[in-house]
Amino acid sequence: MQRDERPRRTKKFGHERGRVALLLLAPSVIHLVWWIGIPVVATFALAFTDYDILAGTVTFNGLDNFQEIFSDSTWNASIWHTVVFTFFTVPVAMAIAVVLALLLNVKMRGSAWYRTAVFMPHVTATVAIALVWMWMFEPRLGVVNTMLGWVGIDGPVWLADPDWALTAVIVVSIWKGIGIKMLIYLAALQAMPNDVYEAAKIDGASQVRQFFSITLPLLKPATFFVLVVSIIDSFQAFDQLYVLTPDGGPGNSTTVMTYEIYRTAFKEFNMGAACAQSVVLFAFLLVLMLISRRLTGKEDDVR
Amino acid sequence: MSAEKLSAGAATAVTPRTSRPLLARRLRRVALHLVLGTVSLAMAIPFLWMIITSLKTDPDLASYPPGLLPRIWDWDNYPEALEYAPFGTYFRNSLFISLGHTALNLALASMAGYALARLPFRGSTVIFMGVLATMMIPTYTKIVPQYLIAKGIPFFGGNDYLGRGGHGWLDSWWGLIIPGALTPFAIFLFRQFYLSLPRELEEAARIDGMGEFGIYARVMTPLVKPAIATVGLLTFESSWNNFLWPLIITTDTDLRVIQVGLSAFQQADQNAWAYMMAGTTLATVPMVALFLLTQRYFVQGFANSGIK
Repeated sequence: MQRDERPRRTKKFGHERGRVALLLLAPSVIHLVWWIGIPVVATFALAFTDYDILAGTVTFNGLDNFQEIFSDSTWNASIWHTVVFTFFTVPVAMAIAVVLALLLNVKMRGSAWYRTAVFMPHVTATVAIALVWMWMFEPRLGVVNTMLGWVGIDGPVWLADPDWALTAVIVVSIWKGIGIKMLIYLAALQAMPNDVYEAAKIDGASQVRQFFSITLPLLKPATFFVLVVSIIDSFQAFDQLYVLTPDGGPGNSTTVMTYEIYRTAFKEFNMGAACAQSVVLFAFLLVLMLISRRLTGKEDDVR
Repeated sequence: MSAEKLSAGAATAVTPRTSRPLLARRLRRVALHLVLGTVSLAMAIPFLWMIITSLKTDPDLASYPPGLLPRIWDWDNYPEALEYAPFGTYFRNSLFISLGHTALNLALASMAGYALARLPFRGSTVIFMGVLATMMIPTYTKIVPQYLIAKGIPFFGGNDYLGRGGHGWLDSWWGLIIPGALTPFAIFLFRQFYLSLPRELEEAARIDGMGEFGIYARVMTPLVKPAIATVGLLTFESSWNNFLWPLIITTDTDLRVIQVGLSAFQQADQNAWAYMMAGTTLATVPMVALFLLTQRYFVQGFANSGIK
């Protein structure tokens, strides 16, 4: 009798565990399927349909949406703006971030303070920050042109100038993006194995040599990660562009893919075309991820 | 000490020897502080300028070239701004939604994370893979159907049982709170924390005759307080700063969150800079304060999101 009880009890526990697991998971699984799973599938499906939002009817129309969006010069320009925006935002912010991370990794008084200052823009709302920068970019009374005036430069009207609006948005985005990149680099630096440096020191490697032969190669996984995440974020940047340059900027000079998706879906209520645009954006992100993975090699210790 | 050693190379690529004279070390430190001080100031200038502007009077704002500090510190801008635009309402809405998101995310994600980490059952791996997959879905790959789903929720906002005819969850607290209430990243983070707890604890509780739900709620969850703090703060932060979702699903001024309210205010009246900066300060200061008080958890959470 005594011996029988053990397996039975385990079995009972097993049942209970399974039941509780289901109960604990159910709300989350339903939520994720409902608000992420179904929408993702729906985006790909709706891209090939004409969705009438008033009647709620869906009619298959093949590749019409794709033909429509790619014959739209604003959409094509928005792809180009997205690429330019990313091309200038990501590498500059990454370069500044890695240098700052290396400097902040030195143990010294005040480094927590510096780190906080660099990271602060990341935790504050992009909308609020964009408004502040908007005031700073004010052509006559703004602090940017005032400071340029100190060194004898007559600043442009920034956000109202088609040639400078995108540059202004890029400056804000770099400023905003440095903090999180710096933090990921800093975490990577602090996780570095100390013994490798000890060994290198015993072998008489100079600090310059240590930096190029040890630190930089060890930073490769972090760099890969920061690169991929930054590109994805940058391709999806919306808030600062929407606030700093409403309606796609002067002469559509700052329309990006996200803004076009927003406009097509929620201003024109052309849901099918907006889904087609989302599919194109998704394709871009996928290709970029695959390319960066190829370039930096497969790093298994990063996601 | 280890940090100093390994980064010294980067900081002083110019001095090759480790045993350098004290003076050189001191100079290096000063240079380092100068560089970092300048960068920090550059990062802080927009915040300082925001606060300074929010305290300036109209003649101060219009003076050219702009003065660095206000001639008169106009603290009345804040109560006036609150009357000029309903920043108070926006602020309350944001707070309500952020707290709702935080509470729901903590409850749902900890439950799911616990089940995935500690309860063996068939299909556990598949569900975990699914959670990881949803983590990687870009916002714009789902935003349009999410809007359509919110609009088509049956029996809400004048909808029939097929979700047609009305506006569903658009312009409602439901739409503002429910869709964003759970983040797969929170599930992932909770799972990692629960995994790190020793097995003996749950075994002991089980032998004492405690139910599985009790083990989750009363034994294990109190032990993952750092996870609760991290997830809670990250959720609150991203909810408070969220813009796109509230922008597309609300048109009603009474339901505007602070970010959308600020953006609408900017498009309506670009000349009330002092009021706008007062509103921006109100939107920013709570997050900054929260961040300063709880930096450790924020930094952990953000760093964890980068490195597994």
